[in-house]
Parts: sequence; C-alpha cells; structure tokens
Amino acid sequence: MNAPKHQFAEMYPQLGKGPVSTESAVSKEFFEQEREKIFRHQWFALLKRDSDIPNPGDYFVREIEIIGVSVLVIRGDDGQVRAFHNVCTHRGNRLVHDELGCTTGMQCDFHGWTFNRQGELAYVTDEEQFYGLDKAAMGMPTIHLDSWRGFLFVNFDETPRETLEVAMGEFNQDLAPFEFEGLECIGRYRYDVDANWKTTMNAFQEGYHVAFVHKRSAPDAFTGNDNPYCHIPKIKLQENGNQSLAVPGAPDHKLSPTEELAFKFGSTFTQGVGNTEACPGTWQGEAENWGFDLNIIFPFSRINVGAGWCYVDAFWPIAQDKTIYELAYYFPKPIKPSQMISQEFSKIVLRDLSREDLSTNEVTHAALMAGSIKNIYLSDQEVAVRHLYKTVTDRVNGS
Amino acid sequence: MSNQLPEAFADLEHFVSWGEPTEKLRMARRIGSTMAELTDYYSTMLPRMEAIAVYLDQWDLTDLPDSVKPLLYMGLMYMEAAVCVELFKDPDVPEASPAEKLNVMSEHAERALLA
Repeated sequence: MNAPKHQFAEMYPQLGKGPVSTESAVSKEFFEQEREKIFRHQWFALLKRDSDIPNPGDYFVREIEIIGVSVLVIRGDDGQVRAFHNVCTHRGNRLVHDELGCTTGMQCDFHGWTFNRQGELAYVTDEEQFYGLDKAAMGMPTIHLDSWRGFLFVNFDETPRETLEVAMGEFNQDLAPFEFEGLECIGRYRYDVDANWKTTMNAFQEGYHVAFVHKRSAPDAFTGNDNPYCHIPKIKLQENGNQSLAVPGAPDHKLSPTEELAFKFGSTFTQGVGNTEACPGTWQGEAENWGFDLNIIFPFSRINVGAGWCYVDAFWPIAQDKTIYELAYYFPKPIKPSQMISQEFSKIVLRDLSREDLSTNEVTHAALMAGSIKNIYLSDQEVAVRHLYKTVTDRVNGS
Repeated sequence: MSNQLPEAFADLEHFVSWGEPTEKLRMARRIGSTMAELTDYYSTMLPRMEAIAVYLDQWDLTDLPDSVKPLLYMGLMYMEAAVCVELFKDPDVPEASPAEKLNVMSEHAERALLA
C-alpha cells in the first residue's frame, strides 16, 4: 500500500510545497512571540485524567515553565477538581512541594498558614497581629480548569479566548466514540531535550523516519514490503492547528516470543493491525492496515489512540532551545498480575522507541542554530510538519 | 539465606536480586548489566514466564501478598531483558537520547504495590 503521490498537497493546497524556513525554530525573538501570542492563551493539557485523582484530597502539581506558574490540581471534599496557583496568599511562598499525593489540606512552611482542599484559607497563625484579614477573599488564586473526555486542561487567561470544547475542534466529533473510561496510567516519563519544541515535535509527526530511526525497536511493526516508508494512509489537518494522522500497522509483523507471551495474558500495542474488533473513534475503519492514530492538539500536546489503549504526550517549550517531552501511557487498568506483566512489554518497547525518536533532535537543533541550513525540505508525507510551521507563523504574524 | 521465592520457583532463587520494585530501578539494572547477564536472565526466565503469570494470578494485584511480590518484579524485569535480547542486541538503546536525560516517574500500579 504505497501512498498516491502528492495527495496531501492536493487536499491542502494552502500549505504550499516549497522549502520551509528554519527561522521560527532558531530565533529567540520568535520564541518570545510564541509565548505572548500562543502559549499564554492556549489550553494546556496536563496529561492527566480526572480519574488519576479519584478521592478528595488527591492532588498533583505541574510546573508550567513557559508561563512560570506552578499549578496545584486537587479534588475537594465536594468531589470537584480545581486548579490553583501553588502559592500561599500571605507572601507568595510555594505551598506544595511533592509532585503528587493525597492531603487533608495545605500548610505553608513559611509561617504556617493553612488552606483546605477547596483552596480556602482555613487558618492563619497568630492572626490577631494582622489588621483585620478578609480570610474569605484570601483563598489560593484559581486557574481556569476544564476537562475533555476526562483529560484535564488549564488556561491562564483571565477570561479564556475560547472554550476548551472550541479548542478541541473536530476531535469533539472524531474522538467521541473512543472509550477512554477504564484506562489507567501505567507509565509516565519526562525527557530533557536541548532543542526547540517544534524541532522536537517534528520527529513525531510523520512516518517517514520509522524505517530508519526505529529499525531496532520496530523492525517490522509499522513498515513492511507493502509499505517500506510507513506512508501515512489518512491525515486530517484542522484550520485551528489540530491534526490527526493514522499510522499504519504492518500486516506481516512477526511476534517475538515475548510479544506472544504478552498477547497470551493481554494485548500489545500492535493489536490494531488486522484486528477485526472495531475501534470506534479511530481511523481504523478508513485506513487499510491501521496501527494507531496521532491526534495533535495545537500547539504541542497529543491524545494518541490505539486499539484499546492511548498515550498522551506534550512537547513542553521551556525556552527557545529547551523542551521537556512528557509521555504517559494509558492502558486498561490491570486487575491481575499477568495483565501488568503483559502491559510491561508494550510500555517498555514504546518507552525505548521514544528515546530513539528523541535521538535526532539535539544535533538537528544545533545545526539549525549554526545556520548550516536555512530551510528544510518536506515531502508530501511530512505535511503535518509543514502545517505546524504555517499555523505557528500565521498566529505569530497575526494573520 | 532463606528462600525468597515460592517453592515452585526455587530454581530461580539466584535471580531474585533482579526483581527490583520500580521501573526506574529495573531500567538502571538493565543498563548496568552485560549482554551475557541479560541473555542468561532472559533464557532462564522465558520458559518459566507463563508459569509465573499463572501462579501470580491466584491473586488480584490489590491483594497480592508481599511474599510473592519479588516474583512479580522478576516478571516485569524479564521485559527489560527481553527487549535487549530480541530487539536492541545491547543493554541500552543504541542511537537514542541518553538514559540520564530520561526521568522515569512512578505510576498507580507500582505505587500501590509499594504502599
């Protein structure tokens, strides 16, 4: 199944076919513009589900470095999940230092002020020395939080420019039938990458690299004689920057002894291939030899869906030349030990495969910074990379 | 030293130290091992993996006795060794972002077992 030539350029003629300037990946000024015009106003996927914090007092903390804010997300006694600036309203000290946990309340380690699980100021030590504090108005500062199909997002605008539902665009319909419920996080990773966020993300936006970068981890899972270059069978590029790409699975993929074992006690990440079980909410029904889907929520996070599993990731921009790649796998909640062992196979293969994906980023970034090349040349199969550059540049230039 | 594994798996006793309780430790153990060691572990464990899974499935993860957890951890460690032998032909991932730039976080099932 080789792809027809230039099919995506015909679908999206507005993206053009010419070389793409590296300027937006190497310019510090451009990065500042991205921060002001895009990041400050976007919904940030926290790569967590509300089911990750099921009980009152369950919380997690996420640093949003690009905005400089530490966010505390916590479930209150009333069952509601809220997001706050992780800060004491006394003088601004950080309240919670652990990355996740369950707590009865938050006590500041500077002067002992205490906040309850709804973020309200519950107790001020030596209160009579103050001049009539309005404690009811001194709760932890709130941050807009919303959830989409159970995934948690925050927005730092005083009034978000668009709702989360609007930002999700066509995913509202396209992913509607996908069953996220019952999936549990079985692995989470963070990688420091010394490269621009777009350069980093580009390595994850096409199938062209698979035969080369993943020759060891996936020698035959996504490529085969019928599709040696991992041609992407289906792509949908949305006006707002969101993207959906079907990644093919190879029908002649051979199971290793260990993958056979993993299948015996569960399933693996290759099970979408030739699977007769329908996976609604994916490209499976429309793509011959479907593997899984990449769903990019503009600008830099994704909800990628396979046959009964998903993984969420984000290319968190830290600075013009620094990115944190965060990745979390959600599989059916394991009940039996054998299921955990079975899932460990897919998790480790995919974890190691993602390290291969990250191998080219830093040297590529260095070469672009050195000005060794001024343009990149993109094939029809790399149209999602082209679309990202165009969407970002248009937003920064205000068009 | 007394046996740490159930009677039926006494033959694997010399591998019990491979059963590190977290993914972070298991990955470090793998990268710090030689291919000879990993291949030995893989070849010994592969024919026993099915029996290990069946034995452990007497329990749900939520009520797994502490006494059999080392066996589960050895089963999880098998997967680290397996990708070295079957895919990478190396203890680490060649041509990849270095392991020290990767932070392996701890998630639900692992935390629950340690609690």
